[in-house]
Amino acid sequence: MKKLIKKKLVRYTLLIVVILGVTIIGVTLNRRSFADQNVSGRDRDLTDFSTIESLEKARKGYNVKNGAEKMPVYGNWQNFYKKDGLPSDKAYTVRINGDQVLVGTHDGLAVYENGKWRTYTTEDGLAHNGVVSIDVSVLTGDVWLGTLGGLTRWSAGKFETFDQFNSGMPNDLVYSVFCFGKDVWMATGGGAGSYDSYTKKWEIFTEQNAPMHEPWTYSVSAGDGKVWIACWGGGVVEYNIETKQFRDYNDPDGFMEIDLDPDDGVIHAITTATYYAEGILWVATYFGLSRYDGRNWKGYFDHDCGLISNFINFVRAEGPVAFICTDLGLSTFNSDTWITYKRNDNNEDGKAIVMKGTEVIKEIPLSPSISHNFVIGVDVEDDVIWLATSKGVSRGERIN
Amino acid sequence: MKTLFRILVNFVLFLLLSFFYVNGQGKVANYGNIPDEVVAFRKYREAYKYHFIEPMQFYGAGREKPAPTDLEEVRLGFLGPLEGSMIVDLGMQMLQGSMLAIEEANNKGGYNGTPFKLMVHNDFGLWGAAANEVIKMDDEGIWAWVGTIDDINSHVAIRATLKSEILVVNPGNPDPTYTETAIPWVIRVIPDDRQSCYALVNRVYRIDNYPRVAVIRTTGRYGREGTKHFNRTATRLGFPIIIEERFNDGESDFKPQLERIKKISPDAILMWGNARESGLIVKQIRELGMEQPIFGSDRMVSPEFLKIAGKHAEGVVTTCQYNPNTDDPKYKAFKANYVKRFDQEPDVFAAHAYDAINIIIEAIHKVGLNRVLIRDVATDMKTFQGHEGITGIMIFDGAWNNIRPIFMAEVRNGKFEFYPVPPWVQAKQ
Repeated sequence: MKKLIKKKLVRYTLLIVVILGVTIIGVTLNRRSFADQNVSGRDRDLTDFSTIESLEKARKGYNVKNGAEKMPVYGNWQNFYKKDGLPSDKAYTVRINGDQVLVGTHDGLAVYENGKWRTYTTEDGLAHNGVVSIDVSVLTGDVWLGTLGGLTRWSAGKFETFDQFNSGMPNDLVYSVFCFGKDVWMATGGGAGSYDSYTKKWEIFTEQNAPMHEPWTYSVSAGDGKVWIACWGGGVVEYNIETKQFRDYNDPDGFMEIDLDPDDGVIHAITTATYYAEGILWVATYFGLSRYDGRNWKGYFDHDCGLISNFINFVRAEGPVAFICTDLGLSTFNSDTWITYKRNDNNEDGKAIVMKGTEVIKEIPLSPSISHNFVIGVDVEDDVIWLATSKGVSRGERIN
Repeated sequence: MKTLFRILVNFVLFLLLSFFYVNGQGKVANYGNIPDEVVAFRKYREAYKYHFIEPMQFYGAGREKPAPTDLEEVRLGFLGPLEGSMIVDLGMQMLQGSMLAIEEANNKGGYNGTPFKLMVHNDFGLWGAAANEVIKMDDEGIWAWVGTIDDINSHVAIRATLKSEILVVNPGNPDPTYTETAIPWVIRVIPDDRQSCYALVNRVYRIDNYPRVAVIRTTGRYGREGTKHFNRTATRLGFPIIIEERFNDGESDFKPQLERIKKISPDAILMWGNARESGLIVKQIRELGMEQPIFGSDRMVSPEFLKIAGKHAEGVVTTCQYNPNTDDPKYKAFKANYVKRFDQEPDVFAAHAYDAINIIIEAIHKVGLNRVLIRDVATDMKTFQGHEGITGIMIFDGAWNNIRPIFMAEVRNGKFEFYPVPPWVQAKQ
C-alpha cells in the first residue's frame, strides 16, 4: 500500500480527487436559490407584488407541494366543446378564479360556474371576441382580459376597454396580461406595457427604452419583484421593479438556425412565454424549453428528454412543476420526471407517458383523455387542472 | 509517467468533445443554401441542434370545419405600404401585382363561380399597427393573405397570423429571420437576403478578390439584417469588414460617412438601402473622387436608382431575385398585361405578389375554403415544390424560403443586365 501511495501518479490522482470532492461539496452547500441570490429581503416583504399563486402559497403552501418528490398525475378528464356551451371550440387561455373558471376563446369569454357555461362578447363590452390571455388582480378581484383588439377590465360586472386610442396601450393586440400587485403588465404587438391601477399611469417598454431589438413582445410574467418579458427575436428581458433596471437574456450563439449549446443560455431568440416559480424561470420557445435557476441555464429538446414537442405555446409553473403546452400534448416536468398527456389519434382515449430522460418509465391509460393535443393554455389549482386547446377545454383531477 | 499523463488527458478530451455529438441532434445538415465552409462554428465543432431542416407541421384543429356555402365573395388579404411610408412605390407595385392576379382569376370564373376579392390594408409602421391589420383581416373572414415588405411590420404581422391561424405568402420581405421563427403559417416566394449576401460575398472576395471592403447601410432593420450574412460570411472567409457606416432613410447628404470611408481606401464598397438613397450615395462616391467598385442590395434594381445615380451607376453590381429580362413566355405575358393594366413596368414586388396570389388561389382550388387545409397544401413540400411561377421556379427549404438560384444584376450602358449567380468558389488549398 505504501509503495502504491509513493507512486507519483497515484498521489497526484488522489490529490485531484480530494480537491474536486471538496470543491463540489462546497459549491453544493453554498448554492442558494435564484430568489435568495437575486432578490433582496425587501423584495420578499413587498406584499403588493402578489399574484393568485403567491396568495395560494401563503394560505396553504403551494398547490402541488409534493411535486418535487412525486409528480402529480392527472386523470378523470372531462372535456367541453361548443355543443356544451362554449362560444367556440378554439380556446386560447384558461384561468381559475375561485369558484369560476374563465376561458378565452376565439368567439368570446366563457365563464364556467356551478356546472354551467356563460358567454360574454363584444355585445357585453369586450374589446374583441378573441380573448387570448386572462389574469385576475388579487388586490381588487378585477379580471383583466387580453384580446385581439384591446385590453378589457371586468370589474363589478362591468366591462371597460383600454386601447391605443383611449389609453397608453402600446398596441391593441394583447398577447399576454399578468397582474402583479397593483400593476397590470401586458405583452402586445407593439411592445410591453404596464398600467398602475392605483395612479392610472401607463408605461410602455419598446426597443426605445429597453434592451429589445424590436418591440416584439409575446408574453409577460412576474415574481419576486421582477418582470420577465418574452421578446420575439430578443430572448427574455428582465425588469427589476425596484431598481427599474433591465437585463436581457438571449441565445449566446447568435444564430437563428442552430443551437450551439443547449445550456449556454436561452435556447433561441424567438421566445413565446416565460413563467417564474420557486426560484426557477421557465422559458418557452418554438424550438424547445429553457430553465434558469439564476445561475445556470438548461435547455430541453424533444430528442433528448421527455418533452413531447419543441413547439411550445405557453408555460405555467406551480411550485416546482412546469406545465408545458405544446402542439403535441401537455408535458409536465419537475426538473426530474416528465409526464406527457396525449390523446389518441382515432378516439377520445389517451395516455399519460411518464419519462425520466429519454426512458419511458410507464404509460398510464386515460379514458377519456384531453380534448385535443394542441394545447394553448393551462391553469392548475389544488388538485384540479384546466386546459385550453385548439379544440375544446379540458378539466382533469389529480389521481395520485 | 508522461505517457500515462498524455493518455489520461486525451481520454478526458475525447469524453468532453464527444459529449455533444452523443447527446446532440446527431444529424448535420445545411439549410438556406449556406455554403459548407461558412456554416456557423463548423470549423470548430458541430452544433447541438440544427433548426429548419424539416418543415414545421401544424397539429391544431380546424381541418374538419366545413366550407361556408353562402359566400358572395372569396376574400384574400393584402398588407403593404400604401401610404405614410418611405416605400409606398414598392407597396403600390405589390398591390398592382396582386390585383392583376385576382382579376385574371375572376375572369376565369373565380372560385367555382364566386369571385375573389382583395381586402386591402395599409401596413403603416407605427406602434405595431400591422398586427391590428391582420386581426382586421381575420374579422373580415379572409382565407389567406399576402404581404408585406418592411421587415419589422412583417414580423409583427406574422405573430398575429399565427394567433389567427391564417396562411401568409410573403412576396416582398427579404429579412432572413422572417421565416426563421418556426411559424407553420408562413411561406416566402421571394428569395431572401441570405441568398443575396452569399452571391455578393462570392463575387467580391472569391471572384473579384477585393479583401478590404467598406459597408454603408441604412440604420434600420433592413440594413442591419440585410448585411448581417455578408458581414458574417466575409469574416468567416477571413476578411472582416474594415468599416461600417450608417445612414437614415430620407437622408440626402452622405459625405460625412463617405469621407470616413475614403480615408481608409477600401478595395470595394457595399451599400444596403432603398433606391433613392443608394442612387445618391453612388453619385456622391464618384463626386468625392472615389473609384472603388460598388456592390449593393437588390433595391437598387430600380428606374429610380438609375435616374438618380445617372452615369455614375455604370458598373454597379447587385443581385436580383429573378430575371426581369427573361424570355419566359409566362413572364412576358404577365409583363404585357401589367403594363396594359397599370401603364407601368412591373418590379420585383409586383411579380412576386402575382406569384403569391396565384399560389393561394391554386391552393384554394385544390382544397376548398378551409384555412388549415389551404395552409396544409401550400406547405406540404410537394404541391408547390418546383412550382413554376412567372418569377421562376419555387424551391422551398425547411423554413419555406424560396432558395432557387437568383441573378446578378450589373449596370452596363445605363441599364441593368442580368445573369445567373456564379457557383460558389471554394477556398484555394
